[in-house]
Amino acid sequence: MSTRSRPFRFPLWIVLGVVLIVALVIGSGVLNSAPMTPAQRAVGIETGIKCPSCEDLSVANSSAQTAVVVRASVRQLIAEGKSDQQIQAYLVSRYGSAIVLVPPASGWSLLVWVLPLGGSAVAVAVLVIVLVRRRRNGIVDPADAAREETALDAVASSDQLDARRQFLEQSLADAFAEHRAGDLSDQDYQALRRRDTARLAALDIRMVGTSGVALAEAGPEVSVGTEPGESVDSAPATPKTAASVPGPRRSRRQRFLITGAVISFGAALVLVVSLYAASRLPGQTPTGNPTLSQQAQIQQSLTQAATLEDEGQSGEAAQLYQKVLGQDSKNEVATAQLGWLEYQTGVQGKSASLIADARAKLDQAVKLNPSDYAARLYLGTVLLEQDNNAPGAVAQYQAFLAANPPADLLQQAAAVLRQAYTQAGLPVPSAVPAA
Amino acid sequence: MGSHRARWIGITVLIIAAGLIAVLATRPSASVAEVQSPLVGHTAPAITGTTFDGATFSVPIHPGHFVVLNFFASWCAPCQQEGPALVAFQFEHQQTGDASMVSVVFGDTVSAAQSYQSTLGVTWPTLTDGKGKLALAYGVSDRPTTFVIAPDGRVVAYIVGAVTVKGLDNVINAAKVTHA
Repeated sequence: MSTRSRPFRFPLWIVLGVVLIVALVIGSGVLNSAPMTPAQRAVGIETGIKCPSCEDLSVANSSAQTAVVVRASVRQLIAEGKSDQQIQAYLVSRYGSAIVLVPPASGWSLLVWVLPLGGSAVAVAVLVIVLVRRRRNGIVDPADAAREETALDAVASSDQLDARRQFLEQSLADAFAEHRAGDLSDQDYQALRRRDTARLAALDIRMVGTSGVALAEAGPEVSVGTEPGESVDSAPATPKTAASVPGPRRSRRQRFLITGAVISFGAALVLVVSLYAASRLPGQTPTGNPTLSQQAQIQQSLTQAATLEDEGQSGEAAQLYQKVLGQDSKNEVATAQLGWLEYQTGVQGKSASLIADARAKLDQAVKLNPSDYAARLYLGTVLLEQDNNAPGAVAQYQAFLAANPPADLLQQAAAVLRQAYTQAGLPVPSAVPAA
Repeated sequence: MGSHRARWIGITVLIIAAGLIAVLATRPSASVAEVQSPLVGHTAPAITGTTFDGATFSVPIHPGHFVVLNFFASWCAPCQQEGPALVAFQFEHQQTGDASMVSVVFGDTVSAAQSYQSTLGVTWPTLTDGKGKLALAYGVSDRPTTFVIAPDGRVVAYIVGAVTVKGLDNVINAAKVTHA
């Protein structure tokens, strides 16, 4: 008997388990060491709070008036320095516990958490028991198998015996192939081979006894299911056939248990993944950012701020720009964007002090980086709108155009650019898109 | 063996069904107007805001009499249904001096709410609550919603849906007995 050593192979389920665990760890956000911004905190809280006037919709996903009010309240409470738990407790004290979409792990609600976990544990236990029994049942004493087969074959017809023989040969060939592929251990393979060869031998004796047909007449002898250099002395076999003889069927209870266990396990898996896979917040990468440098953090904050600005959440965007300036006071992007937000707010609120502060910031941004097209555009617009200084605005716009701004920004700025050039009595550059 | 199994399955199904029936039977029906609120039994949040004419209005923390706080919108049918009852209630208790009304606009424009109330003949103060702070403080999710606040400042009732004079009187009389 050959006992060749085989390269060690991980079973497929271990690989799948490792992939699942890694995915859960990444998805849970534990690798994300960057501190959450207020906007990210707000989104996280809002996702777990039910819209008071909606059915099964979070305030983050609803535009109802009540949802808007709750969102504003969450952001205000964050600004006041309240913790997530305090904010949730406040909302519960007003709307009741139903306002929280995730049920608390106490009282009757605890069942929601315990039952799926308990169910999945039972499912895994059942699966393990069934699989172990199945394996044990598959490895039987060859003598017992032969006796059993003989008793079974004693009542079979000649055709049934032929079919049975083909099935056993196929089983031997399959076991050999699985063993060679590394899917079957040496021990299991030898046990299966002994069992099936014993069954074949018993079957052949029965066939000779009933029909008098010599074994040699069954076909040329081949070695099926043996290692190279080995032969199955007691089990001369015919060539492999594709006869599809049904193998031993599992009992109904076994099938029921396996199906139930697999479904329960799958459901539990889906539940676990959905519970622990945290939703990504604006600007967060799917794989987390465990070791972000300060520059990378600043870049991330700028990206988040830009996203918030695009969504119309200028207050949160301004907070992020201020945070960036706290880390890098000479960041021209944050300076320019914050100045522009201040300018827009000052115009809406008719606040001269805010407009003056915005102008100072835009001046500073231009000094920090004269080729920053956004700062040039904003400063030019302030000069045009506040001072009616068309030549000054045109000077800024020329620098803006020289810095090759993105096409979409150019398109947005086209109207104000044409206005400035026209007021200054200058021809509108060809780079400015037509109206 | 098979009959035993069928019997146990039948008993299990019956127990589960009985449990479900018991749970559903003991839940308050949707038609019951007075519902549970975490505020009931607790001190009412401060009632402060701006009236239609821009004046600041506040109800004292201990009002000394019952206050009926009603959140409404002019376009909401149950609000229109309860409007005359509120006016009658106010008229009735203005005489006795044991209760007063305060309205809060919820999910409506100020002009529409003002027009609706002038048609109705409302004389009590109405707060605009532009940013929804009062609605949030009281956990209002639908309209009309009415709170009854006792003279000691505690919320004694939270009613969602159209109220009636009789219903409000019952709440106040019950609270008087409880707090006597």
